[in-house]
Amino acid sequence: MARGTSDISELDQEKYDTDEQVKIICLGDSAVGKSKLMERFLMDGYRPEQLSTYALTLYKYTTTIDGKAVLVDFWDTAGQERFQSMHPSYYYKAHACIMVFDVQRKITYKNLTNWYKELREYRPEIPCIVVANKIDADMKVTQRNFNFAKKQGLPLYYVSAADGTNVVKLFKDAIKLAMSYKKNSNNFMDEVMRELENFELEQKEESSDKEDGVPKEEKPSLP
Amino acid sequence: MEMEFVAKRCGVRFDPPSIVLVYEDGKTKKIRQRIMPVRNFSKYSDCSQAAERLKNNTRHRAYLRDVTSRQLERLHVVLRDRLLGRTLEQSLASLRLDPNQDLNKLSDEELARKKAQMDVLFERNRKCKDDPDFVYDLEVEFPEADDHETCSWDESEDGF
Ligand SMILES: Nc1nc2c(ncn2[C@@H]2O[C@H](COP(=O)(O)OP(=O)(O)O)[C@@H](O)[C@H]2O)c(=O)[nH]1
Ligand SMILES: [Mg+2]
Repeated sequence: MARGTSDISELDQEKYDTDEQVKIICLGDSAVGKSKLMERFLMDGYRPEQLSTYALTLYKYTTTIDGKAVLVDFWDTAGQERFQSMHPSYYYKAHACIMVFDVQRKITYKNLTNWYKELREYRPEIPCIVVANKIDADMKVTQRNFNFAKKQGLPLYYVSAADGTNVVKLFKDAIKLAMSYKKNSNNFMDEVMRELENFELEQKEESSDKEDGVPKEEKPSLP
Repeated sequence: MEMEFVAKRCGVRFDPPSIVLVYEDGKTKKIRQRIMPVRNFSKYSDCSQAAERLKNNTRHRAYLRDVTSRQLERLHVVLRDRLLGRTLEQSLASLRLDPNQDLNKLSDEELARKKAQMDVLFERNRKCKDDPDFVYDLEVEFPEADDHETCSWDESEDGF
């Protein structure tokens, strides 16, 4: 799956396990406005890190949450979306996903199904926000239900990278969701460990043949 | 101040490669045509630079004041496509936005053209930091009503 670019898995992503580093990925078809949204949030003058060998653009953002500095890496594709599939490392350790379509182009909405499917293959339960971009082009779309989001139980944001509507809110909420996912997924691991300890103790009393239930990195099923 | 020349329409002529402008002479109110040959232009030329060059040309610039750089660039793209052996139809299609086209399937250059097209509306609707009514954190609520019309995009069999 090299696709003429270097393998993203060479990138060090262990840092995303630490408390103060978060990874948020952007997904969606070509030209839906992923990069424009990033630029609107970070405003002009911001220089992202172009990792052209990985067909990847990294936007680094620092913020303070509960009095602690948090480093957010926003991952944006630089053409890899053309393959309508991303390298697994793109998803690796991501804490939240921003999934964008263009309200002027139905095909980008239809393709959400594929993006969402791929996302869930790699990250079964990270928070995901569906973004209807370019509402400035046709405000009437904000009167419409887009069933995809509802059906998947995902929040839907109506935004415009051009006039700025709801862009900052979108990114701030994505960071909050990513942070809470991070916290809760750690808690969840602790819970599992505790449960397992108890489980083993009980088992020992009854019989000696026990099944090994090593906790997976992720919960296997969707809520 | 009244415009000396009012641009009405523009187009291209392939041989020799030229930009054609139809304009109204502000004084005589007559409609006239001006043919501006594009010099030193090859299939390797940068269309946006070539467009700027023409727009700033001392002999032509008075006539081209109403014509945007973007439009001139598009005309140059059509000229260059011809030098690359593309038909006029192909060329125009690449400059047009078809909402049903899958843009994932385009080459870098083709995609850049589509984005340049999208940029027209983007720039028109854009709120910049320097605008007096600019709000960085612009929040607008679009309350969800039950009587929202269902998006017609959902009304099909394929999996939604
Ligand atoms: N009208 C309008 N156009 C937009 C908006 N966001 C992006 N665009 C246009 O869509 C094009 C593609 O955006 P880009 O961020 O490059 O898309 P990406 O391929 O998903 O990163 C841009 O060149 C803009 O012209 C928006 O909110 N409103
Ligand atoms: Mg982009």
